[in-house]
Amino acid sequence: MTGSAVRRIVIVGGGSAGWMAAAALSALVGRRVEEIVLVESAEIGTIGVGEATLPTLRAFNATLGIDEIELIRRTQATFKLGIEFRGWNPHRTFFHGFSDFGPDMRGVSPHQLWLKARTTGDDESYAGYSIATVAAGLGRFAPPVPDRGSVLGSYSYAFQFDASSYAAYLRAFAEARGVKRIEGRIVDVRLRSHDGFVEAVLLQGERTVSGDLFIDCSGFAALLIERALHAGFDDWSRWLPCDRALALPCARLGAPTPFTSSIAHRAGWQWRIPLQHRTGNGHVFCSSYLDEDEAARTLLANLDGAALGAPRLLKFTAGQRREIWKHNCVALGLASGFLEPLESTSIHLVESGIGRLIELFPDRGFEPKLAQEYNRLMSRSYESIRDFIILHYHASGREGPLWDHCRNMAVPDGLHHQIELFKAGGVVVLYDSGAFAEPSWVSLYFGLGIFPRRHDPMADLIGDAALRRELERRARIVAGAAQSLPMHGAFIDKHCRAAA
Amino acid sequence: MSGEGQRAARALRSIVIVGGGTAAWMAAAALAKVMASASCALTLIEPRADGTAGAAEGSIPNLRAFHRLLDIDERELLRATRASFKLATRFHDWRARGDSFLHPFGSYGLDVRHEVFQAYWLARKQAGSASRLEEWSVTGLAAALGRFGARPASDSSPLRHLSYAYHFDAALYARFLRIYAEKRGVHRIEGEVTDVTLDPMGRIESLRLSEGRSVSGDFFIDCSGAEARLIGQALEIGYEDWSHWLPCDRLVAIDCESAEDPAPITESRARESGWQWRIPLQGRTGHGHVYCSAYLSDDEAATAVPGGAPGTLRCEPRLQRFKAGRRASPWVRNCLALGEAAGFLEPLEWTGSHLVQTGLGRLFALFPDRDFEPAIGAEYNRLAALEYERLRDFLILHYAASQRDDAPLWRHCRAMPLPPTLAHKRDLFARTGRIVTLEEETFSPASWLAIYVGLGVWEGRHEPVIDLLGSPAMASRLEAMPATIRKAVETLPAHATYLKEVATLA
Repeated sequence: MTGSAVRRIVIVGGGSAGWMAAAALSALVGRRVEEIVLVESAEIGTIGVGEATLPTLRAFNATLGIDEIELIRRTQATFKLGIEFRGWNPHRTFFHGFSDFGPDMRGVSPHQLWLKARTTGDDESYAGYSIATVAAGLGRFAPPVPDRGSVLGSYSYAFQFDASSYAAYLRAFAEARGVKRIEGRIVDVRLRSHDGFVEAVLLQGERTVSGDLFIDCSGFAALLIERALHAGFDDWSRWLPCDRALALPCARLGAPTPFTSSIAHRAGWQWRIPLQHRTGNGHVFCSSYLDEDEAARTLLANLDGAALGAPRLLKFTAGQRREIWKHNCVALGLASGFLEPLESTSIHLVESGIGRLIELFPDRGFEPKLAQEYNRLMSRSYESIRDFIILHYHASGREGPLWDHCRNMAVPDGLHHQIELFKAGGVVVLYDSGAFAEPSWVSLYFGLGIFPRRHDPMADLIGDAALRRELERRARIVAGAAQSLPMHGAFIDKHCRAAA
Repeated sequence: MSGEGQRAARALRSIVIVGGGTAAWMAAAALAKVMASASCALTLIEPRADGTAGAAEGSIPNLRAFHRLLDIDERELLRATRASFKLATRFHDWRARGDSFLHPFGSYGLDVRHEVFQAYWLARKQAGSASRLEEWSVTGLAAALGRFGARPASDSSPLRHLSYAYHFDAALYARFLRIYAEKRGVHRIEGEVTDVTLDPMGRIESLRLSEGRSVSGDFFIDCSGAEARLIGQALEIGYEDWSHWLPCDRLVAIDCESAEDPAPITESRARESGWQWRIPLQGRTGHGHVYCSAYLSDDEAATAVPGGAPGTLRCEPRLQRFKAGRRASPWVRNCLALGEAAGFLEPLEWTGSHLVQTGLGRLFALFPDRDFEPAIGAEYNRLAALEYERLRDFLILHYAASQRDDAPLWRHCRAMPLPPTLAHKRDLFARTGRIVTLEEETFSPASWLAIYVGLGVWEGRHEPVIDLLGSPAMASRLEAMPATIRKAVETLPAHATYLKEVATLA
């Protein structure tokens, strides 16, 4: 053994990113690592708004051994089958669900089968092959069955929960496994003079917390990675000009929907995230086209129930930290970059940041190649999600200054190629490390009204009558299966209702 | 007219394949199978046979998926092509003279993530207590012991991890696919292409053949080999030269009669100015010498190939000149290049047929109609470029990481600057024992590990992090694996026995 293992890990910041990292690394305490310390300040609020997630979070939780039902109860969680997009396509509402559109047939993708079989003017019936979409539309939910071959086993789900309760839950988990929490406000960061590595963080009251590896979860403040280490920031606001959000919970009326809603407005969009006890809302907008007062009025006018408090304002710039891992500091969460929550990807990025840190875990030599590989992988994830979000704006048929700007802007080359390929022949181009698979891209292309000039010629090798029969059969099975599921609210009441 | 009718009216009506080697007949067979119900004429123009003997060739396991697509019966294939099973390549004298290591197909460990196995094994190695890598590989151990047999039906046997490909006679393989394709309606014309007529948009309209007849088509597949009759000569698409990284530019091959029992292994032996292969078939052994003409003459190269012994010479040695690299755009307008017309990488890991197969897979996924949307071809070319570069890097690694310095070729390879993608991969592994996987890799992390470890790339410095990846229970499971693997592999028959049983020659 070389005896150069990391002995002490310091996590700065205690939001969901910080406590997710603490929980995931807590298995090391007492084994390889002597101590894991998390420094947080109760004075500094976290960005814990009602938050929607992606299905990958369940794998993260499962790795930790977290009991899902208990987690749901503790975080007021509801189940999420996807996202409903209202107003993005002026002609219709569409859905991005966590399921595919059925299996291939003789090597031809399901969306190509539909393209071949569809009749003139039908821009919507493809959705009828997606079990998550159909079930969500009916307000129904139950977890998928284990048999992936059955239609009731072919979808996935995520949670909509209170992110600060999730952080609190993980805090208890991590502390029980030996992670030490230090309450304090960071006033300075001390760097080693010979190589610029972080040596210690200094807390109010002249306390010093030193360590080998630092994980910066300090949110937008980016105390270590930016303020101390000047890692740099790639600004993406030319593609994603929205720079403000107003968040506000409201009382929930009626049963919670098993999906998140995204409603396009004049200069942005509004999220609607149903939890068990209330509904989270927020208006993401572009300050060049809309002032805060009007943005607030729009939000207040579009709530399901009575507002609970006053809107809280967040300011941000879309983009990514140029070096998410620099020297002996790794940034997670908002300290590593920001993408608006249009596809609920922020917790997902924390998960993949932690997963890759584990795969590339350093020793005290902090071989620079590890950081280089980590940054390469994280950039690919960030860029693929960025491009997916840009697609929503760029291909929207809405009018107005923000929307006209987005329609006319030059998008990143990779996205341009993706859109061209879909337009040319319905080909879904996926890049490495993409968070979203083919059905997600198809949902957005079709939903926003991008239909290819032709379908896959291989689909023509399937007889018309046989294809039509097969598609009718599939739609029937999906409709029947969706109908067989319990109502979402009833499922929660029966299995995982939070304590009042 | 409905949109549907318009679309159907743009479907390809005819496809013309130029060339008669493995690539051409793989394309013909696959198109004949996949397009069986289409009204699309398939024509193959093959130069008159020059009587060249076949050459033994290796392959990689993915080729079995190609055979499944074609519903090819394995026994028939084994009989028709003198094939044997291939489980691994053994590299002799690559790291240093006198050293040898195995690159098996398949994965390491039993039902364990590769990263976990790798961290565990490297930690053991660092502690000085790791046994050879192949002890953790079902396929590798079977190769080392010369065993192979049918994979069990049971889901729990370690033998379900057996992975394999074939050694076969390439000329017999092409003939086998020719029979398959002709039976399914591919029309074969014998002749040389003497002239190519382009339409005003630069698309190929027709080909004039040596005896004066002309063949027209909607889509053309150039399998004419290094000559690149269509894509290179007619369409003037350039060639990206990689010979500064892969300086070998000649090979000489010869097959000998052999009464030996074939081993399920390709042998690859590094020489002063290149390397030599030895491929066991049924009743024959293929020999070849890949070399760099700057350092070795053709005569010297030919004498290095074992002549008579232990088998008898079957025909004159076959000499081939080549240049490592790839066609800048293998798909242009209505012409797609496959095989050596699309690029050439020396057969160090036997990926020739694999590259044709993946090219066909991309063609089917991006199938054109008569509009030949440029975006579709651009996507094919993007993916092909990535695939060739990944493979190029893998091959360069064999030379660049060798510790030999006893000849000019090896000194050149040790000193040359690497492609940045490979430099990043090698350095990360050398310093930290981590494997980088990029888009469109042909070889899995297990294969990269075999070569890295075999060539001694790991510096053994970085603290391994097994305890973050796997549970303590995992470590004891890993501990027990070599014994479990050995017990299972020892139930397999000898490769030669099994081969005789499934493929007895008439």
